[in-house]
Amino acid sequence: MLLFRSLLCAIGLAGVVYAKSSKGDSVLVVVEPKQQDNYSIFFNGLREQGYDITFRAPKAETPAVIEFDAPSFAHVILFAPDTKILAKDLTPQSVVDLLSHNTNVIVALSSKQTAISTLAAEFSLVLPPPGSPLMSYFPERTDPATVVPVPVPASHPMLTPNLPPVWFSGVPHSLGNNPLLVPILRAPSESFAAEIDGGSADALVDAAERGGEGLWAGSQLGLVTGFQTLNGARITWVGGVDIFSDEFANKEVVKGLKSGNEQFVRDISAWTFHESMVLRIDETTHHRVNSTTPLEQYTTNDQIVYEARISSYDPKTTTWVPYSGLKDLQLEFTMLDPHIRTALLPVKGQPGKYSVTFRAPDRHGVFKFVINYKRKGLTYLQSSTTVAVVPPRHDGYPRFLSAAWPYYTGAISTSIAFFLFSAIWLAADSRDQKKGKGHKSE
Amino acid sequence: MFSLFPLLLLAIGTQGSVLTLQSPRFKVTSSTGTQLRTEPISFTQKSSTPVTLSQTDILKLTFQVVDKETGDGVQPHQTFLRFYDGKTGEEGIQPVRVTSGGKAKFELNMAKPPLSLPPTSDTPLHVSLIVGTSTHSPMILSLFDLVVPASHPPPYHPDEASFHPLPEIHHTFRPEQKLPLRPISAIFSLVVIAPWFILLGLWSQVAPRVPYLLSPSIIPFITTLGAFEGLLVWYWVDLKLGEVLLYGGALGVITIFAGKQALSKIGDRRIGRK
Repeated sequence: MLLFRSLLCAIGLAGVVYAKSSKGDSVLVVVEPKQQDNYSIFFNGLREQGYDITFRAPKAETPAVIEFDAPSFAHVILFAPDTKILAKDLTPQSVVDLLSHNTNVIVALSSKQTAISTLAAEFSLVLPPPGSPLMSYFPERTDPATVVPVPVPASHPMLTPNLPPVWFSGVPHSLGNNPLLVPILRAPSESFAAEIDGGSADALVDAAERGGEGLWAGSQLGLVTGFQTLNGARITWVGGVDIFSDEFANKEVVKGLKSGNEQFVRDISAWTFHESMVLRIDETTHHRVNSTTPLEQYTTNDQIVYEARISSYDPKTTTWVPYSGLKDLQLEFTMLDPHIRTALLPVKGQPGKYSVTFRAPDRHGVFKFVINYKRKGLTYLQSSTTVAVVPPRHDGYPRFLSAAWPYYTGAISTSIAFFLFSAIWLAADSRDQKKGKGHKSE
Repeated sequence: MFSLFPLLLLAIGTQGSVLTLQSPRFKVTSSTGTQLRTEPISFTQKSSTPVTLSQTDILKLTFQVVDKETGDGVQPHQTFLRFYDGKTGEEGIQPVRVTSGGKAKFELNMAKPPLSLPPTSDTPLHVSLIVGTSTHSPMILSLFDLVVPASHPPPYHPDEASFHPLPEIHHTFRPEQKLPLRPISAIFSLVVIAPWFILLGLWSQVAPRVPYLLSPSIIPFITTLGAFEGLLVWYWVDLKLGEVLLYGGALGVITIFAGKQALSKIGDRRIGRK
């Protein structure tokens, strides 16, 4: 039995080692079979990376996304933005279920209102009214105004640096202030959302005057936005499915320069599928200064050393490598509220190791070492270790205080006096008695 | 896709026609109607002094969009004013209503700022005009810098703070206990042992004799008493209570017999039984 289990474990480990993603390599793509070939560059790129892609038509019932309450795929791509209602197991609620089962999702939207697009609001993304795609007259070009070249941020942790602009066609969304959102691609500042035939100039002004979310315009709008749930699942909302298409990947932004689409969509799938920006805490330890054994309880005012080892996932070698790149990691020592919050800095010369030494507060109680590291786009790092902080034991207080010298000398001199008196009384000659006898005899 | 087709044709057919603005002007008036500043806007030479608005001032902007070649007024599809704060990256887009003759009038009343005005700080907003249309080349014109009173900061999500480094917290420790100066402790220790000098002085007068000190019946008892004192010192320095009770118990049994022996010997001697 044990052998069997360890064999299973080994197989499981081997599976993890050979997957490209840190979360598994099975991908379900929901796409119309007819359109499947439009995205061959993207899909072939995923296959080359080692992903195992399964296709499914939007209305098809099999293969099921969640079977026996367990997700069947590690990642799901929904490329059916025009299908009003998807199959039974692809409702907005089941997308939320997938995320709570740690399945990663890429969702493409379109200017049509569908069941999935109503879910965007739950992720703090507000879509413009149906039928109003993004358009821009800038820069001057022969393409229709709804096919927009969008400059890619030059230094975004998720993206390859200095990518050429990407072609985009689809809907923008305005972003709520939810901190779980990770803006990836923003609309150009000259772009706006308008009715598909352009609409009239007055309609735009009227929309703005109506107030509320009247006008979708400017660089505050998002086109591609990630969202990392609190349990670590990642979902990426893409305003239009065409950004993944072969046509846009091969289209030139200026003469002789291919668009950045191919690399851009690979970058966002790498983030969504837990290849890039994935961290984990390997272990945390704590001990007193000049000691190495972790204690269950510490004494108030002890000097405590806390250490954490952090690794990041390297998709090239599919291994976890020690990572010392976090400069703003913090450790909290909390009892209800943090009593101490201090920087947990990387140790020089020891990759992946972070350490801090601090003095335990002079309050006793049950404390926790807490790491709660959340940054946009990065895996959330959370760790909590409970220890007790106790007052000194009866013999743990300082001794031989100079203030107590008079008391020590008093006690010692009493002891010596008692000893001397006893010795003299016991060993002395009883002269009085003899004298008394002498008197009587006289 | 079909609806895109005519747009595409239009775009190809009309490349090159250029738009321009005719007589662009801005005017700043106070709430009472007095004119504070009025200037034509020059695109070749940007005004060095930013336009400053107080809490109640009104900014009026007028211009006409015309075709550069024919001089006819044009109503572009997109005529947007962009307010951009370069420091915070906040941006606001305000569409401007343009008549079919190309004439446009925009009013910014700071008493009732439009929703499109971004949250502002003390840095000036950069105001530019974006004109886009399918029939002409699009253009972006930088108008002027605008200083407006600072607004409330934008609202933050309650969890936003946990996504940034939090302020450090240091525990405030109780102050160290203050000890009196060592010489003072030493002086009082001397006071405590002062009676010894008197005692030793008087003893030197009396000069007690101890002839039985080394007698085999007395010395064990004295030794065990001394051992008890030593045990207590050891307890103070190092031992735990259990160990003291163990050693003290063993020592106590010896002491009882040694004491019985010593005291009965002394009793015999005093009665004179010897």
